[in-house]
Amino acid sequence: MSRTPPRRAPSTVAGAAAPLAPLSRDSQLAAEIKGLVASGDRDAARDRYGELVAHQQRRAVRIAYQYLRDAHDADEAVQDAFVKVFTHIISYREDLPFEVWFTRILVNACLDLRKSRARRLRWAVPMSSSSDTPPSDPATPEPTPEQRLVSRERADEITAAVESLPDRQRTVFTLCHVAEQTTAEVSQALGLSEATVRVHLFRAVRKLRRLLDHAS
Amino acid sequence: MRAEHLTDDRLIELSTLEAPSATEQRHLSACARCDARRVRLQRLLEDVSDAATAAADAAFPPERLARQQSRILARLLHEGRPARVIAFPAGHTQPEPVAARTRPRSRWIAAAAVAGLVVGVIAGRFGHDYSFSRPARVIVAHTAEQPELRAPGSTGTIREVTASISEDEFLNQLEMAIDSPAAAALQPIDDLTPRAWDVR
Repeated sequence: MSRTPPRRAPSTVAGAAAPLAPLSRDSQLAAEIKGLVASGDRDAARDRYGELVAHQQRRAVRIAYQYLRDAHDADEAVQDAFVKVFTHIISYREDLPFEVWFTRILVNACLDLRKSRARRLRWAVPMSSSSDTPPSDPATPEPTPEQRLVSRERADEITAAVESLPDRQRTVFTLCHVAEQTTAEVSQALGLSEATVRVHLFRAVRKLRRLLDHAS
Repeated sequence: MRAEHLTDDRLIELSTLEAPSATEQRHLSACARCDARRVRLQRLLEDVSDAATAAADAAFPPERLARQQSRILARLLHEGRPARVIAFPAGHTQPEPVAARTRPRSRWIAAAAVAGLVVGVIAGRFGHDYSFSRPARVIVAHTAEQPELRAPGSTGTIREVTASISEDEFLNQLEMAIDSPAAAALQPIDDLTPRAWDVR
C-alpha cells in the first residue's frame, strides 16, 4: 500500500513564518455546512457533514491513536471531536483551514480523555493482581502489509521512543509527521508560536534519532 | 573549495524544517558521507511515520471506520432534540364518562384518601416546619458546639457538603484532600493498612 511521505514544514528561510495554504475543499464544505445550519436546514447539514467526516476520519484516528495508544479511547475521542465540531459549526471561521480548527478540537478531546483515563486508573481497584499484562485490544485485527514491512521488534522500539517524548514534543511530532501538517498549521492548532513549534519538533527529532539511530 | 561537514543538528533542521542553502546543497552533492547521514536520518523519520500510521490503520480497518461514522451520525441525529414523549395507548381511552361508571362507595374512598393526604401534608408542615424553610443541606461537622473536638486554633466553622455531587467533582475533592499537607501525616497509617485487593 502506498502512502504519501510526511509533508515537511515549508522549505523557507529558518524562522520565517510560512503563509497558510489556500482553503481546502473540506474548509469550503465546512463553510457550506455552517450556512445550512444557520439557515435551519439541519438535516441537509448533517448529510453534508457525513462527507466531511469521511474525508477527515482516517487522519483523525491516526492522530488520536498516536496520542492515546488505545483503539477504544481513540475511537471515543474521534467521535467526541466530530460531534463537537458539528454542534459548534456555527462558530467556525471560514478564513481558517477547517483541518486546523478540527485538529485543535481533536487534540483537546484526546487530552480530556487521557486526563479522565488517568484519573480513573488512579482510583480503580485492580480486578486481579495475578496478571500484570494489560488486556489486549480485541478489536485489533491482523497486521497490514505496511506493518509487516517494519519488523515487530523495530515497531515496538519506535513506539517506545515516541512515547518517551515529552507531551508537547510528541504532539508536535505527531501532527507534523503523522497528520502531515506544516509547522504553521500546527502552531495555529495548538495555539503556540511557530518558533516554539519548530523548537519542539527539532528536539523531538533529535531525541528520536538518539534513541533509534543505533539500530537502524 | 572545501566546505565543512554538516553537524547533526543542522542535518535535523534540513530534514524537518527547511531546505539546504546553495552552499549546503553543493556540499551534500560532493560529500558522500554527509549525504549518507542525511538519507539515513530521513529514512529513520519515515520509519517512525510508517510505524505510527501502520499501527493506527491496523487498529482502524475500513469496517471499523464505517461503524464509527455511523455512530457519529447517529449521535448527531439525537443532538439538540427534545426527548420523545410516548403517547398514552389510544386503546385505553374510555368511551363513556368515568363518573358515570364509578360507584358512590368508591367515590367516598377516593375523597377520604385525598382528605387524608391534605391533612397529612398540613400536619407535616406544622410538625416539621424547618424542612420547608431551610435549604436541603447536610451538616457534616459543627465544631463550635463541640469544643472538646475542636483543634487548637481552629475557627469553628461549619463545613457543609451538598447532597449530590458529580463523579468528577467527587474525584477532584479526593485529589485535593490527598494533595493537602495534612494528608502526609496520615501516610504511615495508610502504609500499615492492607488494601482490599491484597487480602485473600
